[in-house]
Amino acid sequence: MSAPADAPVTATPQPMGFRDGLTAALPIIVGYFPIAFSFGVSATRAGLTGGEAVMLSVVIYAGAAQFLALALVTSGAPLLVSAVTLIAMNLRHLLYGPALLRRAGKEASTRQAWAWAFGLTDEVFGAALGALARGKRFSEPMMFGLGLGAYAAWVSGTAVGALAGGGALAAYPALDAGLGFMLPALFLALLLSVLSRVQIPTIAVAAVATIAGTVWIDGTAGILCGMVAGALTGVLRRPHAS
Amino acid sequence: MRLDLFAMALAVGLATWAFRYGPTRLNLSNMAPDSLLNRFLNATGPAAIATLFVASVLPYLEQAGGHEIPLALGTLAVLGGFAWRRSVVIATLCGAVVFGLASALV
Repeated sequence: MSAPADAPVTATPQPMGFRDGLTAALPIIVGYFPIAFSFGVSATRAGLTGGEAVMLSVVIYAGAAQFLALALVTSGAPLLVSAVTLIAMNLRHLLYGPALLRRAGKEASTRQAWAWAFGLTDEVFGAALGALARGKRFSEPMMFGLGLGAYAAWVSGTAVGALAGGGALAAYPALDAGLGFMLPALFLALLLSVLSRVQIPTIAVAAVATIAGTVWIDGTAGILCGMVAGALTGVLRRPHAS
Repeated sequence: MRLDLFAMALAVGLATWAFRYGPTRLNLSNMAPDSLLNRFLNATGPAAIATLFVASVLPYLEQAGGHEIPLALGTLAVLGGFAWRRSVVIATLCGAVVFGLASALV
């Protein structure tokens, strides 16, 4: 948004509004819809009803965790184990609020954070941080616009995928294969987004423990082994290593 | 709608919301970088994601026949997409498109 021609020139930019947030969400919307579509198709293929697929998107609203939920539920993992695994996976979200608000400055309002923080996904966090890094000013309406656009794309994409159904892609094997690879691609991309030199031992140990647990016990045990071994590696590392 | 599935989703959804909202109140940014909690939080995310990436790729490696080349190309496409735009969404879509095309052609 540009300022009127007769407006005084100030050093501090205007805070972004709801519409600016929606505009900033456009790349996320374009990306979220096909991934959510893939989730809807996968969910119905795995035996969930369309309503259950949409419910997962509405309530959990965390893409990677939702795909994992499908894998865990359909593999027969106990729901408590599934819930703990999914919650552990989403622990990374703890760091987003402080990182965003540190960038936004001390004057940033957080009165309505209880609502907009629901939509603080990896991508929304990245887009908000990117906007602030480009000199934009933080505002809660902007966070609502950004979050609502992304959320609408995620839920509607899931609904369309669920309506299409698990057999919808049988005639399109390339599309079927591509959508099937969405999950590993998403995990790898997320891994790249959080990768730092100090985390390499954590990642390596988690990977090896996952393979070992999967080969020697089963897939669910492999996931638990990987997460626990990786997190312990991070906790046990020497403080000065960072 | 299965009640147990809804209960699990609700627990995960509530925890995820608490992870996203809670720190805006607790101000974890003042946490000492070398504290046990900070190291745990820093390690848990990458450990979880690395675990899930490996777990999601293993079935492709275990299945017999034809997945190696699409898997390699799809992985390279994710790396290339991320290097290009630094975007999780773009990298994911690049990987899926290349994997799908490679699967059809190989």
